[in-house]
Amino acid sequence: MNFIIRLKKVFFITLKYLSLCFFAFLSVLPVVSCLITAFKTDQEYNSTNVMVLPHSWFNFQNFIDAFTKANMARAFLNSTIILACVLLISTIIGTQLAYVLNRFNFVGNSLIRNLFLFASLLPGVAMQISVYEIMTKLNFINSLPGYIIMICGTDVISIYIYIQFFENIDKSLDESAIVDGANYFTIFYRILLPLLKPAIVTSCILKGVSTYNEYYSASLYLQDKKLYPTVATSLYTFVGPLGSKYNLICAGVIISLLPALIVFICCQKQIYSGLTAGAIKG
Amino acid sequence: MQAKAKAIKKKRTFSQWLKSRDGQKVLIITAFMVIPLLLLFVFTYLPFGKMFSFSFYDMKYVGQRKFVGLKNYVKVFTRDDCFKALGLSLYYMLGAVIQLGIALYFATILSFKTRGGSVFKGLMFFPYLINGIAIGFIFKFFYTRGFVFDTVLHWFGFNLENLPYWLKDQRINNFSLVGTSVWRYFGQNMVLFIGAIMSVDSELYEAAMLDGAGKFQQFKYIILPSIKTIILLNVILSISGSLSAFEPPYVITSGANGTGTYFVVMHEIAHTQQKVGLASAMAIVLLIIIFIATIIQRLLFKYVFVSGEDDNPKDAIRRERRLNRYLKHKAHRR
Amino acid sequence: MKKKNVWALLMAAVMTLSLAACGLTNTPASKTSKAEVQASTSKEESTGGADTADIKVPSYTELNLDDYKDVTASIKFIHHKTDRAADGTMDNMVAEFNKEFPGITVSMEAITDYAEDSLLRLNAGNWGDIMFIPAVDKSELKNYFMPLDSYENLSGVLNFVDAWQFDNICYGIPYMANAQGVLYNKAVFKAAGIDNLPTTPTEFLADLALIKEKTNAIPLYTNYAAGWTMGAWDAYIGSVSNGDDTFMNQKFVHTAAPFADPGDDTGAYNLYRILYEASQNNLIEDDYTTTDWEGSKGMLNRGEIGTMVLGSWAYAQMQEADSHPEDVGYMPFPITVNGTQYALAGGDYNYAINVKSSDENKLASLIFVKWMTEKSGWCYNEGGYTVVKGGKNPDMYSAFDGCSVLSDQPALAGEETLLNDMNNESELSFNAGGNAKVQRIIESAVTGSETLDDILLDWTKAWNAAQKELGIEVKY
Repeated sequence: MNFIIRLKKVFFITLKYLSLCFFAFLSVLPVVSCLITAFKTDQEYNSTNVMVLPHSWFNFQNFIDAFTKANMARAFLNSTIILACVLLISTIIGTQLAYVLNRFNFVGNSLIRNLFLFASLLPGVAMQISVYEIMTKLNFINSLPGYIIMICGTDVISIYIYIQFFENIDKSLDESAIVDGANYFTIFYRILLPLLKPAIVTSCILKGVSTYNEYYSASLYLQDKKLYPTVATSLYTFVGPLGSKYNLICAGVIISLLPALIVFICCQKQIYSGLTAGAIKG
Repeated sequence: MQAKAKAIKKKRTFSQWLKSRDGQKVLIITAFMVIPLLLLFVFTYLPFGKMFSFSFYDMKYVGQRKFVGLKNYVKVFTRDDCFKALGLSLYYMLGAVIQLGIALYFATILSFKTRGGSVFKGLMFFPYLINGIAIGFIFKFFYTRGFVFDTVLHWFGFNLENLPYWLKDQRINNFSLVGTSVWRYFGQNMVLFIGAIMSVDSELYEAAMLDGAGKFQQFKYIILPSIKTIILLNVILSISGSLSAFEPPYVITSGANGTGTYFVVMHEIAHTQQKVGLASAMAIVLLIIIFIATIIQRLLFKYVFVSGEDDNPKDAIRRERRLNRYLKHKAHRR
Repeated sequence: MKKKNVWALLMAAVMTLSLAACGLTNTPASKTSKAEVQASTSKEESTGGADTADIKVPSYTELNLDDYKDVTASIKFIHHKTDRAADGTMDNMVAEFNKEFPGITVSMEAITDYAEDSLLRLNAGNWGDIMFIPAVDKSELKNYFMPLDSYENLSGVLNFVDAWQFDNICYGIPYMANAQGVLYNKAVFKAAGIDNLPTTPTEFLADLALIKEKTNAIPLYTNYAAGWTMGAWDAYIGSVSNGDDTFMNQKFVHTAAPFADPGDDTGAYNLYRILYEASQNNLIEDDYTTTDWEGSKGMLNRGEIGTMVLGSWAYAQMQEADSHPEDVGYMPFPITVNGTQYALAGGDYNYAINVKSSDENKLASLIFVKWMTEKSGWCYNEGGYTVVKGGKNPDMYSAFDGCSVLSDQPALAGEETLLNDMNNESELSFNAGGNAKVQRIIESAVTGSETLDDILLDWTKAWNAAQKELGIEVKY
C-alpha cells in the first residue's frame, strides 16, 4: 500500500519534471538553434546540419558582420533615443492624467475614462490605415519626434496602472498637505510622484518592452531604414540579398535579443509583477 | 452675508480667481489633461472618425475620392478573400485554448515547490520578450525543410520522408503559425496565472493539506475557483486577439499560401492595393465584431463573475462544503 | 455647463492641432517658393517650349554635363537593387560619378519590397530626390515627379521613354531595358539531351520533364517565396505570347476574355499553363515556401537549376554568381505565334526626380540621372538593351536573332490611366506587384485545389467586373 503510494508519487514527480523539461526545451530550442548557427562560418553552415554544434564558439565574425551590415549601431542609438523619450513622456503624461482623473471630481471625468477604455479596444493594426494619413499630414513620417509622439499617444495601459495605483494611496495625504498650504502641483510632484515609483517601474517595463519590440508601426513610419532604423526594423535588412545566410541572420537576431535578455535577467521580479499588475486591471 | 460673499467672489479679478483653490483646480485639471487628451484625440479618435468616413469612399491616400455609399461594406461581405479570412481565426482560437491550458498547468506546478522553478519559469517566459521580426526569422529557419524542427523530430525517431512541409502544406501551415504564437505567449500567460495563484491566501492550502487533499483536489477546489477571474479575462483577450491575429503570418509567410488572416488581407488591401476605403470598411466591420464579442463576453463574465466572486462569503462557504464533502467521500471509500 | 468645458477643451485641442499641422506643412512650401524666386532671378534662361516653362532646372536634353562640374548638393536615391547595393556595384558607380562631380553627394538606400514600400514612401512625400517609379496613376505623375523633358525631345536621344510620359511630358527614364526570355543552364540542357531550344509551351514542358528525368537539376525554379519573381511572369502576357505589340497597353483593358485558351499553344493561358503543369508534375523546387532568391543565382550557375523565367536583366547576375558563367544561357520565350517567336524589349524601372525637392537638388539629381543613363555603363553591364539611342547591345542578344523583337506601343491618348485603374480595381495588378495571383497558380497546382481553368476564369470575372465598374468599353 505504502509502496504503491510512493510509486505513484515518484511517477507524478517524474511526469512533472519531464513535462517541465520538455516545454523548457521547446521554449529555448528555436533561440538556441539560432545561437548555434550564429557561430558558424559560411562554409560550415553550408556543409553541416543546422543542429550540429559550431566548430568554434569564438567565431564572432557573423556578429560583427551583422552589426555593421544591418546598421545596428545606428539602430541601437535610435532605439535608445525613442525608448528614453517615450518612457519619459508617457510617464509624465500618464501619471498626471491619472492624478487628475483619480483625485478630482468633475463632469466629464467618467466620460474621459470611458474614452480611454474604448481606445484600448481598438486594434492597433486596423487604426494604422488612417493614422498613416494623419502622420503624413503632420509630416511625422521619417521623423523621430513624430514617431515618439505617435507611440506616446497610443498608450492606454499605463494610464490604467497609474489610476489603479492612485486608488491605493490614501487621500488624507493630499488633504493634510492642502491644509499646510501646498498647491496641487507641489502635492503631485513632491508627495505623490515619489510614492508612485513602483507603478512607474511597472508601466515603464511594459511600455519599454512593447516600444523596443514594435516592428509594424516602426517600419510604417520610420521608412528610411538608413537614417531611422530601430533594432526591430534593422533586422529587416536581412530580408533582401542576405536572405539565405542564416548564420548572419541568426547573429543579427541574437544581437537584437541581447538587450531584452539583459533587462530580463536583471529585473525578472519587476517584469513578472509588472505584468500581473498590468493584467488585473482588465 | 452669503450674498455679500458671492458678490465679492464675482468681483474678484481673473488673477485672483486663478490663485484661489477653485482656480488652481481648474488650472491643474486643464494643464494635466490637455496633452493626453490631445494625443488621444489625434491618434485614436480622429483616425477612428476618418476611418469611418473613408469607408464610404473609393479612394487612395492621394488623388481624388469618390463617395460610394455602402459599396465597400457590401464588398467586405461578398469578396471571398475578406470575410473568409476570418475563418483562420478559428485556428488562433484553438491555439489560444491550448496556450491557456499549458499556461495553467505550468502555473499550478510552479506555484508549488519545484526544483529550479524560477529557471523553468524564466525559460518559458523569455519568448514573450522577443520582437516580432526576430520571431519571423527564427521560425522561418525553424520550419525550413531539413532544418531545426525536422532535425529534432529526427532525433526522436521520426523519418524525414514522413514529415510534412511545415509552411508549404496548406493543411498544416496555419497550425505551424499558431504554434509560434503559442510558443511566444504561453509563458506570459503562465506568469499571470502564477501571480494570481500567489495572491490566494496560503492558509487555504495549508488547511487543505491538513485535511489530506491531494494536489489535484487543491487545484480543483482552491486554485481554479480563485483564479477564475483572470482565466476568464484571458479567454476574452485571446478571442479578440484571435480575431485580429496579424503578426505570425505577417512576419513568417507574408500571408501567402493560405495563411492570410483578416488583418493581413486588410494590410495588403490598404497598403499594396491602396484601396483605402475598402480596407477601412474591413477595419470597421472587424471593430464592430470585436465590440459585440466583448460586450457579450463582459455580460457573460459579469454573470459568472458574480457567482464566482472570490470575496463572496457564500461562495467560500460553498467551496468549503464541497471540499469537505469530497474529503468525507474519500475517507468513506478508504 | 461643465460639459461645455470638455467641448471647449476638445475644440482647443483641434485648433492647436490644425495650427500645428498648418505650420508644419507650410514651412517647406514657403521655403521652396523663396528658392524658386532666387533661382529665376539669378539665372535668366528661356526654355522655349510652353510645356517646359515651369522647369526651373534645364530639361534633360538641354543639360550639358560638362557645364555643371562644380555643382554642390546632397541628394538621395532610393532603388530596388538590393543585390547591387550588397555587392558594391552601386557604390562603385557613385564613386565614378564623384570623380567628375565631386560636389554632389549621393546617398542611396536599397529597398527590399520595392513595389509596395516605394508606394508608401511616395505618399509620405519626403522620400528623397531620385527614385524608380512604382505603379502610380499616370495622371498623378506631376504631383510626385519633376518633368524631365518633352516626349519629342527625349525620344530623339533615348529609347523606351514612353512608359511614363503623360501629355507628352516624360517623367521617367529607364535605367536599362530588358528583353523577355528564359534563363537556362546550357550544361543541364546538354545533359538532358536537349539539342534544340523549345519553341512552344508543350515542348518546353516536355524538356522540363526530360531535365527531371535525366539530371539532378530542378527543371523550373519559380522563386515563389520572393514574391516579385512570380509577378515577373506577367511580363510575358503581351507581345511575347500573342505577337501583338498593341495588346498590353491598348487592347488588354478592352478585352473580354484575355485569359481564354486560343487553342494553338499561345496566349496568356498557355503561358500560365507552363507554370501550372510544371508545378503539378513536380518540375519546380520542392519546398517553395522557404526558397531564397540570392541562393538561386548560384544554383543556376552551377547547374542545379535548369531554367528560370526572368527578364534579361538577371542574366549578368547569374553569370557572376559562381564559377560557371559560360553555362548560363538566355533564350527567347518558348511560344511561337504563327511561326514566329517574339521577344519583348522594354524599359525596366524608370528614374524619376522628386517634384518637392529643392532646385539645387533637382539640378544635381538630373545631372546624376543623365550621368547614370549615358556614362555609367550600368545598362550594358547588367546585360540590358541600350537605353541611349545607338548604344551597344551585349552579345547575349544574339540568341534573339531569329525572333522578332517588339516594343509595346504606348497607350492611346486619353487612356493612359486605364491599365493602372483596371489593375487596381481587379486587384490582379499585372506588371505592378500582382505576385499573389501567380503564387496561387503554384499553390493550386501542387495542392490540387483548383484547376488552371478555375483560376483563369476567376481572373476573367475580376477583369470583367472591373471593366463594368470603371465603365470601360469591351471591344475585343
